[in-house]
Amino acid sequence: MSAVPTTPGAPGAAGTPGIEAQRTGRVRRFLGRKRPVTVIVAASVLGLLVLAAVTADFVRPMDSRGINLARSLEAPSLAHPMGTDQVGRDLLTLAVHGLRLSFGVSILAAMGAMAVGALIGVAAGTLGGRADGVMMRGIDVFQSQNHFLFAILIVVLFRPTLGGAGAIALSVAVTHWVQVARIVRGELLSLRERPFVQAAVNGGVGRARLATRHFLPHLIPQLGLAFVLMMPHAIFHESGLSFLGLGMPPDQASLGNLLSDSRRSLMLGGWWTAFFPGALIFIASLCVGVVGEYVRERSNPRWRSELEL
Amino acid sequence: MIAVVGRRLLALPLILFAVALLVFLLAWASPYDPAEAYVQGAAAGDALTPELREQFERAWGLEDPMPVQFLSWLGRLVQGDLGESRYLSGAPVVDALKDRAYPSLVLLGSALGVVLVGALLAGVAAAAFRDSPLDWLIRTSAYAATFVPSFWVALLAVFVFAVQLDWLPAAGASNLRSVDGGRVEFRHLLLPMLTLALTQHGWFTLYVRDTLLEVLRDDYVRFAEAQGVGRVAVLFRHALPNALIPFVTLIGTHIPELIGGSILIESVFGWPGLGNLTRQAAIAVDIPLLLAIVLVGAVLVVLGNLIADLLYRVIDPRIRESMR
Amino acid sequence: MPAIEARALSVGFRTERGVVQALSDASFAIERGETLVVIGESGSGKTVLAHALMRLLPRNVTLAGEVDLEGQPLLALPEDEMRRVRGRRMALIPQGAGSALNPVRRVGGLMLEMARVRGLGQGEAREALDGSLRELGLSFQQVAERYPHQLSGGMQQRVVNAMAMVGEPSVVIADEPTHGMDPELVDTTAEQLGMIARRGAALLVITHDLRLAERLGGRTALIYSSYIVELRDTAAFFSQPEHPYGRALLGALPEHGGVAIPGVSPELTQLPRACAFAPRCPARFEPCDEAVPPMFPLPGGGEARCYLHA
Repeated sequence: MSAVPTTPGAPGAAGTPGIEAQRTGRVRRFLGRKRPVTVIVAASVLGLLVLAAVTADFVRPMDSRGINLARSLEAPSLAHPMGTDQVGRDLLTLAVHGLRLSFGVSILAAMGAMAVGALIGVAAGTLGGRADGVMMRGIDVFQSQNHFLFAILIVVLFRPTLGGAGAIALSVAVTHWVQVARIVRGELLSLRERPFVQAAVNGGVGRARLATRHFLPHLIPQLGLAFVLMMPHAIFHESGLSFLGLGMPPDQASLGNLLSDSRRSLMLGGWWTAFFPGALIFIASLCVGVVGEYVRERSNPRWRSELEL
Repeated sequence: MIAVVGRRLLALPLILFAVALLVFLLAWASPYDPAEAYVQGAAAGDALTPELREQFERAWGLEDPMPVQFLSWLGRLVQGDLGESRYLSGAPVVDALKDRAYPSLVLLGSALGVVLVGALLAGVAAAAFRDSPLDWLIRTSAYAATFVPSFWVALLAVFVFAVQLDWLPAAGASNLRSVDGGRVEFRHLLLPMLTLALTQHGWFTLYVRDTLLEVLRDDYVRFAEAQGVGRVAVLFRHALPNALIPFVTLIGTHIPELIGGSILIESVFGWPGLGNLTRQAAIAVDIPLLLAIVLVGAVLVVLGNLIADLLYRVIDPRIRESMR
Repeated sequence: MPAIEARALSVGFRTERGVVQALSDASFAIERGETLVVIGESGSGKTVLAHALMRLLPRNVTLAGEVDLEGQPLLALPEDEMRRVRGRRMALIPQGAGSALNPVRRVGGLMLEMARVRGLGQGEAREALDGSLRELGLSFQQVAERYPHQLSGGMQQRVVNAMAMVGEPSVVIADEPTHGMDPELVDTTAEQLGMIARRGAALLVITHDLRLAERLGGRTALIYSSYIVELRDTAAFFSQPEHPYGRALLGALPEHGGVAIPGVSPELTQLPRACAFAPRCPARFEPCDEAVPPMFPLPGGGEARCYLHA
């Protein structure tokens, strides 16, 4: 069969440019065409939330959190933009401090997951062979299970010694290391095949140097992104566990605890006691998710399935 | 087909063994002290004297090395002895699970049904009216739903429909027991079911939409169009059946999410199922009960995956063929 | 009146990189029973031509020019009416029969559905399908209960061809009908295409297979960078092409020395306002860079888009 000889540089699949143009990222498919706008909005809101959490002590110092039964369950007003709770505490004050607590615990938790995941990923990637196979199988089994149920068990078992924040962090670490381990292992395996690593090995570069000079620089941006994408999970775990009364101690104003407290107020008509703390959880994790997924879509399209909520 | 089922069924005990080992190791590594827990639970007020502790530990084999303890625990599990629940004042855990399984299955099953129907309708609508405001609305809300805290939605639903409007009860389905032959009252089921469905549908809806749009670009769809097949028929008779095949596996992989969601939802609505029991067991630090629930969860997950996998093989003629 | 006629048909796609001009100023007419073979290298705009004639294009497309089906203008037709044109009066044999058949539908049901869309009753549809299949050496019964993947490549092709033949459409468009086929299958496919033309349909075959083009006869349209550059009797074209691109193309075949054409074809997003082939053309002279050449009639019949023939 003699075909028309194709000249070099002939435009590839120009016959279907429409289809080519449709192949766009996930964030865009989810959130519409104006993706930079959506992402910018999400990033700004996130920035505001972080700022509010960091400056909580200056903006709404804790002493205004004082109990005042005369102001019990006041609807949102100028003085109390989010209203007051059943014992008359200013909900905005509680919420920004809760936000700080939730962010803090979540960062701790995500860091725990990164540490465990990185360790196991490196182990699987370097040991290779049988050990690697067994580990990956274990990962498969573990990943298919429900994380929240396991987290409850862990929190119950370890809260007496580690305290609320520690137990939550541990529970997230134990249930969410899997994705990180996969990334680390995958990166390690693909890196071993790269020519410059081969060259370094042949050139007699030691293991430690190889790890710090070649492996880490490739891994750090990936781990950073994984960290960001882990945050919504961690926020969800903190608030969910606290809401069930299994997370932060009840006297601490975490967002989950605020929601838990709101249950009685709701029956008395105080919708704001539930609405605002929950909305903060929602908006915080949504914004982190949008920004994180946008960055991933740009930098790392091949992860698609990993690190999904 | 039979070989595939057999292989999957053989893997089931292995997976359960792995999960059992994991939870045992967690409990073993934790500071949890079964003797203390037992004393606190059974005979309130009694101090745990060293003699009492020794007696207890001998009786329960707690002096044995860890692997022996694990094996004997596993042995009891296999025989269906999941221990006694401290929270339920010494009742066998198995009975508690049996009691609570039925309401949970009703809730999970009905919510899954709502999710599937809703996701199909919304996903097809979004794909059919792609890039329209409707599509934008469906996509955005589905995406947001994957981040929304389910218990928050549940609380708001309680406030709006139970407290303000007084249309539906906020809680109180407490007499629901399979052993009593108690029927599920639809009034009680409605709010938890809808909240669970609402907060779980996100991935499903997005998945239907995306797969459908992908399938709509396939050659056979264009061929059907070229043959003059109408828009609606192309969507439902040519594209949808192909998009549904991978959808079935998604159901399997999302069962864990559904179980996790049900813990929080059941707690908000006081639904007398396993989810609520999980919270109660956790608050009461009832470790045998909690371990049992985790194992039941694992069984459900594995079974769900197995069923989805088999369904997938049954509905795709290409795979069905190769298995004969 | 020709069965199908295109006048100054242009197709562009709006993309992020700008407008991709996939087809420019294409004019041709095909009578019933006549064959027009469109050849060109991949990415030159051939498949777009097939889809443009049937109006099966994505939404980011801009269409200009006119297409008449038996004197009826098609491009202005509402989508509902266009749908009734597809299949009934104008059929498509797509590239790759295997992927054109829905993998989860039984072949019989699929064929019946598509035949009934053309207004045939259940019995009629079955009979018509059986008739076309028998002409191609199969029967409806043989394939009805099977899934597409259970048929051989040749059978899949015949099923698709039979579907195109049902209802005697006036125009049949075959898009790369021999793509990825082994030589034996190419032979039978060529025969079947010839048969479709003999049954009285206007046949438009899009291919990059020059042997197939030579074999099908009729007339040949050569496409370069979205332009039809030569439109002539097939035999005449293969014996002595008139456009420099045609000459260079045939010269690049192994049996004619295999001299590759120097240079690259232009990006479809940045077509020059001049002869698109000029930068690679050995016969280039002043007018070539001034404006896009129109089609000039050739002394022996046919047309070429080249100032040499002005």
